Amino acid sequence: MGRHRESPDTPGWTLLRQQLDSTRTPLIRVLSWSAVEALPALLSGLLISAAVDQGFLAHRPGVGCLWLAALGAAAAVRAYAARAAFPHVAAVVEPLRDALVVRVVRGALARPEADPAAVARLTEQVESARQLTATLLRTLRGVGVTLVAALLGLALLAPVALLLVLPPLLAGGLLFVRLLGPLVARQRAVVLADEQVSAETGLAFAGLRDISACGSQQRVGDAVAATIHVQGKAVRSLGRAAALRSLSVALGGRLPVLAVVVAAPWLVHRHWLTVGQVLGVAAYLLQQLEPAVRTLAGMVGGWVLELTVVLDRLAAIPPTTPAPDRPAQPASGPAVRVTGLHHAHGPAAQPVLSGFDLELTAGEHLAVVGASGVGKSTLAALLAGLLAPQQGEVSIGGVRPHELHGPLRARQLALVPQEAYVFAGTVRSNLTWLDPEVGEQRLTEVVALLGAAELVARLGGPDGVIRDPATLSAGEGQLIALVRTYLSPAPVVVLDEATCHLDGAAEERVEEAFAARPGTLVVIAHRIGSALRADRVLLLDSGRGIIARHGDLQVLSPLYRELVGHWLGSTAQAAPQIPQPATPSAERRREPEDAVGASVRPRS
Amino acid sequence: MRGSTLALALAVPAEAAATLALPGTVAGAVDAVLGGNATAPGLLLGVVLLGGAAAGALAAAAGPGCAADATVALRSRLLRHVLAVGPAPHGLPSGDLTSRLVGSAADAGGAFPARLGALTALLTSLGAVVGLGVLSPWLAPAFFAGVLPGIVLIRLFLQQAGQVFTRYQEAQSELAARLTGALGGLRSIHAAGAEEREAARVLGPLPELSAAGHALWSTQRRTVWQATLLVAVVELAVLGTAGWQVADGVLPPGALAAAAGWAALGVGFFEQVEALAGVAHARSGLLRVAEALAVPAPSPGCRLLPDGPGELVFREVVVRDGGNVLLGPLDLTVPGGRTVALVGRSGSGKSLLAALAGRLRAPDAGYVLVDGVRVDELTVPELRRAVGFAFERPVLVGATVTESLEGAGPAEARAAYADGFLARLPDGYRTPPAELRLSGGELQRLGLARLLAQQPRVMILDDATSSLDLATEHHVTQALADSTRGRTRLIVAHRAQAAARADLVAWLDAGRLRALAPHAELLAEPDYRAALVGTAAAQEYR
Repeated sequence: MGRHRESPDTPGWTLLRQQLDSTRTPLIRVLSWSAVEALPALLSGLLISAAVDQGFLAHRPGVGCLWLAALGAAAAVRAYAARAAFPHVAAVVEPLRDALVVRVVRGALARPEADPAAVARLTEQVESARQLTATLLRTLRGVGVTLVAALLGLALLAPVALLLVLPPLLAGGLLFVRLLGPLVARQRAVVLADEQVSAETGLAFAGLRDISACGSQQRVGDAVAATIHVQGKAVRSLGRAAALRSLSVALGGRLPVLAVVVAAPWLVHRHWLTVGQVLGVAAYLLQQLEPAVRTLAGMVGGWVLELTVVLDRLAAIPPTTPAPDRPAQPASGPAVRVTGLHHAHGPAAQPVLSGFDLELTAGEHLAVVGASGVGKSTLAALLAGLLAPQQGEVSIGGVRPHELHGPLRARQLALVPQEAYVFAGTVRSNLTWLDPEVGEQRLTEVVALLGAAELVARLGGPDGVIRDPATLSAGEGQLIALVRTYLSPAPVVVLDEATCHLDGAAEERVEEAFAARPGTLVVIAHRIGSALRADRVLLLDSGRGIIARHGDLQVLSPLYRELVGHWLGSTAQAAPQIPQPATPSAERRREPEDAVGASVRPRS
Repeated sequence: MRGSTLALALAVPAEAAATLALPGTVAGAVDAVLGGNATAPGLLLGVVLLGGAAAGALAAAAGPGCAADATVALRSRLLRHVLAVGPAPHGLPSGDLTSRLVGSAADAGGAFPARLGALTALLTSLGAVVGLGVLSPWLAPAFFAGVLPGIVLIRLFLQQAGQVFTRYQEAQSELAARLTGALGGLRSIHAAGAEEREAARVLGPLPELSAAGHALWSTQRRTVWQATLLVAVVELAVLGTAGWQVADGVLPPGALAAAAGWAALGVGFFEQVEALAGVAHARSGLLRVAEALAVPAPSPGCRLLPDGPGELVFREVVVRDGGNVLLGPLDLTVPGGRTVALVGRSGSGKSLLAALAGRLRAPDAGYVLVDGVRVDELTVPELRRAVGFAFERPVLVGATVTESLEGAGPAEARAAYADGFLARLPDGYRTPPAELRLSGGELQRLGLARLLAQQPRVMILDDATSSLDLATEHHVTQALADSTRGRTRLIVAHRAQAAARADLVAWLDAGRLRALAPHAELLAEPDYRAALVGTAAAQEYR
């Protein structure tokens, strides 16, 4: 957007233009009816002047009333046109709203992180764009047409008056355009200041307990009060700009009246105007021109700017383009292979993963452990293709997951995050979300296998309806997500603390079941049990990792020893002697390669 | 009364008077034209037009100025009051308070301009009708003949539109609810590559929204064309009546201009519905602000702490919720420099007792002493030197990490084991807390760093390490033990290890102190073991 310009090339207006392109026909109809609606504005002065000169002043009130009746007819035409234009306004505005809603929803779901502002955008900003567009369509074009019609009528009635009207009108218009820049800038400043007040207050009030506990009432109070004052200053400054604007409106709208009245005796004396014409000119100026100028100035200064701001917000949502749909290469190579992986949250930040290697064969069961914030979830996201590697390569079954189209990617690898997604709908639609083809018998089997039978029965069986997912506990939500994932066709499953809300026994049952499921399993561990059950354990620390069997890792890594000790609580001292429990699944598994040989070596 | 208020109080009526005088002045000027001498009426018209413009400009500046002054004053007062009240147990939720400060205070700030504007506009319409009546007694009835059906029309519209609008809003909130749900499972949706499928699910109510939208338009359509016609009829009825009287010689020709002008101003009455809505808005805004201001703020004390080891004493404290006793009566002494763990099932009153210590909540009976001084008698800064907190879910308030950590620097961050991930942030300590995207454990470590910076005599750790994984918790508790040596500590504990490390355990049960003894002694009680996480697991692996 240009520095101080209310120009139609902001991203918002480009978006609006694109949307309106598809509703061009109704738009043209709306504009056509506007021209009809301007009929009284065009005729009012002419008809009033005729009514006065030929009727009322000629002592023929009947004729005068006839002329007024003609004006009434024009008003009836206008009412009809207003009525006829409405469906076309709806045909422009409603599809616009639909398109914006779709855009907001798609955009919100495409973002890597949930944006809580998206809901406000969906309800408030889209609605405000709809209403403002409608208002502009209905009022602004009406006012514009009125202005033109009034000037045209004036030219027809008394061309000489035009000489008196146009110079102040143009001067006012020029002044208004000159003032628009500062006005726009100040209005924008008010919008920003409003948002700032809202954001800072929201944070401070959400942290009342902490503010009290730290005794920082003064510091926080001063900071927020300063923002409140800045907002007040912005509003006052906008008011001053609005005052100047109103002067320019007075110049354009009222000075012509004065000019005509001052010149009228002379004009009438010279017989350039009749009394009726003077009244007609006054009718044009006072009833049409001045209100039109005022409304126009108010709308361009207010609503158009508001619409610009709102549309710019909505246009900031990147358009969603379907990912390049590359066909899956024939699966070859190991289930999971990671080479030289590097990832940092920002350019200056310490990397969470640096020079990282990992290879898992089909059917293997790996547990990932490490301190919070060390990058376990980042690793999961990279494996699932939700993040593209900054350096190095990830391949799942021989293909790079982040290059795959979403649904195709999900057939390669299923990631279950900590926060389960359950939507309003039947239990079945939730459970078969990743594979709608699942049969009834298999569904019942898996529900029972993972210990979800009781939950499903309580929800009314597979065809029971979950009306409000929020009524499920976090653990119940996780159980549903786990059943769904078990039923998915993906050969690789990553559980990213996906069982953290289950109790210990339920967690064990689920992990045992997943370990027995054909395919590769990666568990981001929340409890020691997950590490004990896995074939191998990956310990992440400072961007690097060591991978080994549980028992070997206790010998290799003091950090792991400490971690296990701590996990086991008061048995910390005895921890290194804990033998690896023989789980049924571990025996079926391929013996892992040499623990040290498979370790992940830092490259730095 | 501030300058802008005074200016507004003068400018708005002046502008209205000019607006009202305009049709009459124009009429006078037109009639003077017939007489051939328009100097005096021309001058008068000039004064009315320019005076009106000047008053309008003044009002345009003074209106927002006046509203801004009032809004800033209300917001500042509400802000300080809410901060002084602190986390009131029965107070308004924080989101509600925020909307009162942001929305209601702004509505309320516009009260004076809104009232003045509505009153003036109403008087202008009334004045225009009076003007018509003065011009000729026939004109006013002609006006009212048209206005009365208009009022019926508007009432009808409001009824119909109300129903359709409710339908529209329902579809809208259904959409919003579905989007909120999908956002909660965004990571699952991405992992499943189901963005498009879920977008379609969220957009399910869109056709209904669109249908309701179209219905709204057709309601509006009916009213608008009827209203358009009605206004024209009113204006023409007045104009025709005036014309007839001009023809009869009862009125001068200029009266036509006056009649047309006043009829238009009179019809403007219909637009006052909006102005009245503004007044109603302002009033409900004022009420909402007043409600928040009515919550009493605790009065700060004026005493300072004497020297002492940081002994914390609860004396006969009771906390009630209506008729229910949530806590107490309870006596507990935490000796200076010692660590006491609070253990109990959820709902046993642990966090409540912890909150009492630092006056985050006032007891309904009894009192709390630090080194012999009641905490409610300490000044605010002194209270924070006496008692500090770390929470399960700390909230960081400030523009940057540094600010929100209350002065904690790299040393405290290191001690709380938080320097590692802070270094991994793009802007380090200058990062705004809102952009941090921290895990629960990381946030807790920042909360601990903040407490360490405060250096109080008594430290309250309310479940402050629960989200740390065990390895990190181990490091953090070690570091904390080193950096808080010699300070009194009250720890709300869920894990057996934390209770084992404390000098004494205060075992709470249903709001009463069941026992005060070392962990090892209590471990024999099955009820006690059941209140802790980790005792069972530890025994299992033994």
